[in-house]
Amino acid sequence: MDATNFSDGIYLLDFEFHPVGGREGNPPLPICMVVREWPSGRTSRHWRGDLQRMAGAPFPTGEKALCVAYYASAEMDCFQALGWAMPVHVLDLFAEFRCATNGLRPAHGSGLLGALLHFNLPSISAEQKDSMRDLVLARGPWDAPEQEAILEYCETDVVALAALLSAMVAQIDWPRALLRGRYMKAVSCIQANGTPLDTPVLKALMANWTSIQDQLICDIDRDYGVYEGRSFKTSLWEEYLIANAIPWPRLASGRLDMCDDTFREMARTYLQVAPIRELRAALSAMRLASLQVGDDGRNRCLLSPYSSQTGRNQPSNSKFIFGPSTWLRGLIRPRPGWGLAYIDWSQQEFGIAAALSGDPAMMEAYRSGDPYMAFAIQAGAAAPSATKHTHEAVREQFKACVLAVQYGMGEASLAVRLNQPVARARQLLELHRRTYRQFWKWSDSAVDEAVLGGRLWTGFGWQIHTGPQVNDRSLRNFPMQANGAEMLRIACILMTEAGIRVCAPVHDALLIEAPLDELDEAIARAQALMQEASRIVLDGFELGSDVKAVRYPARYMDKRGAVMWEKVMNLMDLIEEPEPA
Amino acid sequence: MKALPITPKAASSLAVDVKSLRLPANYGATLGVKKLLTSVSVGKPEKSRFFRCHPSSEMAFMAMLLEQKESHEYYVVMPDIAQAISELVRPVMLHAAIDRQNNVFLIPVPLPEDSGTRHSAHESLAQAVEYAKLHWIRIAYNKPTSGYDVYEAMGVIPEPEWSAHDIDSLVDIAFRGKVIDSLDHPVVQSFLGRI
Repeated sequence: MDATNFSDGIYLLDFEFHPVGGREGNPPLPICMVVREWPSGRTSRHWRGDLQRMAGAPFPTGEKALCVAYYASAEMDCFQALGWAMPVHVLDLFAEFRCATNGLRPAHGSGLLGALLHFNLPSISAEQKDSMRDLVLARGPWDAPEQEAILEYCETDVVALAALLSAMVAQIDWPRALLRGRYMKAVSCIQANGTPLDTPVLKALMANWTSIQDQLICDIDRDYGVYEGRSFKTSLWEEYLIANAIPWPRLASGRLDMCDDTFREMARTYLQVAPIRELRAALSAMRLASLQVGDDGRNRCLLSPYSSQTGRNQPSNSKFIFGPSTWLRGLIRPRPGWGLAYIDWSQQEFGIAAALSGDPAMMEAYRSGDPYMAFAIQAGAAAPSATKHTHEAVREQFKACVLAVQYGMGEASLAVRLNQPVARARQLLELHRRTYRQFWKWSDSAVDEAVLGGRLWTGFGWQIHTGPQVNDRSLRNFPMQANGAEMLRIACILMTEAGIRVCAPVHDALLIEAPLDELDEAIARAQALMQEASRIVLDGFELGSDVKAVRYPARYMDKRGAVMWEKVMNLMDLIEEPEPA
Repeated sequence: MKALPITPKAASSLAVDVKSLRLPANYGATLGVKKLLTSVSVGKPEKSRFFRCHPSSEMAFMAMLLEQKESHEYYVVMPDIAQAISELVRPVMLHAAIDRQNNVFLIPVPLPEDSGTRHSAHESLAQAVEYAKLHWIRIAYNKPTSGYDVYEAMGVIPEPEWSAHDIDSLVDIAFRGKVIDSLDHPVVQSFLGRI
């Protein structure tokens, strides 16, 4: 397959739009569209009124045509806003440019201008682009010269797209590129749907947040004394650690490692760290005003597909409801008469590692339903009849070891995680190497391939180039993460095309919604399609999934954030309570 | 606000069989990377080290060894030189062995004297080596009994993965730069008190 397959033509497309009512979180309102046929250069321009009168796109969008865009989910958002059927084939040059340059850090970034500069193609300046974008976002009304200027600007993007397509066409891996384009359509469906939030509670939180913050610090810091006002003081934390004999990880500089991951890890071993970690996360991540919520109370934001090196989505932490602290997910609530289901693949990374490496013991462990217990049994540390109920402590250690391998953790970190001597951590890691020899051989080969061949790839062509700085841990982890991303993308495609309402993709999970009387059926279909996605990516190996269903009037709750949610809600009740007369 | 269609209207089918697009994760397959055996240690395994010995008699090698105890180094001595310094060398059988980390090493087991007698510790070591041909064991010297205690691993441990090297190449690697073929060799000179 190549560009010659599209006998009905190749159409380069760009819309200008702003969110309805100028409110981020609302769907787009298309202002204009320019279409350019490639390679002939025949161009048509359409202003808002024209577009709204059209029942569908004014160019072929069937099996024999191709629609090309840069960041195509935005164009597909406009198709949906106009009620047009989406094109069958989409080629997204953003996805292709990201795939072609992933790991190489292109000098000017991965935006359209960056891609043009990468290929030494002419472009308008970033300042010009910004100024025209501002004009569009001003929401009009635009006089005739302004309309002409916006259309002209829109056309510069399709002219640039034409040049970019000509530069990239020879290196496009067509079948897999079209699969990536197909995902951009799924992304658009998901972005349009969004996640329902409990807006009255969100508004109350925003209105009272300053008081809540002060009260939270007062309540929790009472046992620690590490805050001064609303500032967390590292020096006071260090004193607390010394007084409580907690061996805290340090950076190479000798300073305490203060990242949230470290707090999370340490909270697992030293339970007294958990409340202060939750408080820090709650205070630092909570920028409620940034959360993008539409007029209909649904959280919608750019999912930023293909943005991470593994190809995963990378939505803004502050705009996406699954980005901030886990307790804030309590804001997710189905609308009346509807239900939600959070469905995640069971031990996805372990399953991917087992299937791709072809390690028979690892595959057997995955199929057992409890790979951690199975690992302990396979390693001879527990009897074949052992279960997580009879051997909880052993299972926890072997689970920590499996996760340590997945994260590329060394023996020292694992020892801290387990609160065990380094010798025990070393022993566990050695048992993993011995039990899953085939996996380790394959993992070593992945690093060899990356270093010698210069790149690694997934089952569907997402790739990472090896730069001058080789990170063994990232390279070993890439096949699991990036194939996990492929699996999620394919599941999104299958589910949105099957009519399932997907609210959000979340790492290895999907949040869906359905009317209450259809929820069970929707869950069953979604799980079947997620299984299908795993079979597609893993050459027949099937991953199971777990479901958490929420029915109105219940709200979604991440168990990691339940305590903090309760605490905040109680504080809010107190704050909002009217003073007695 | 306009109600948005959630499902693409015209994108229900694509003539692409997604499964057929799948690329294999056969990293390293075309690059042909293999681990080279570049070092083979010689000596009795430490008391915590589980090991197996190669079951084939082809994987044992008779040699005259000179041991430099201070540096824990062994030297192979060529037969004509061995005769000249017979009081310093010892005839041994080198057995190919492997540990749980797939490290290959050679265990020197002293051979019986011309009279047919053998020190009890050496006899004990020879028996342990025989046992290790079928079982994962570790050994620890027991001074009062002048023999080795043998501890067998009771778990289900996979069979060792032997490399394709024959005993000659293992000996070559193990004694690279450690062959005494002249009385002028510095190690011999040192033993004779000449340097």
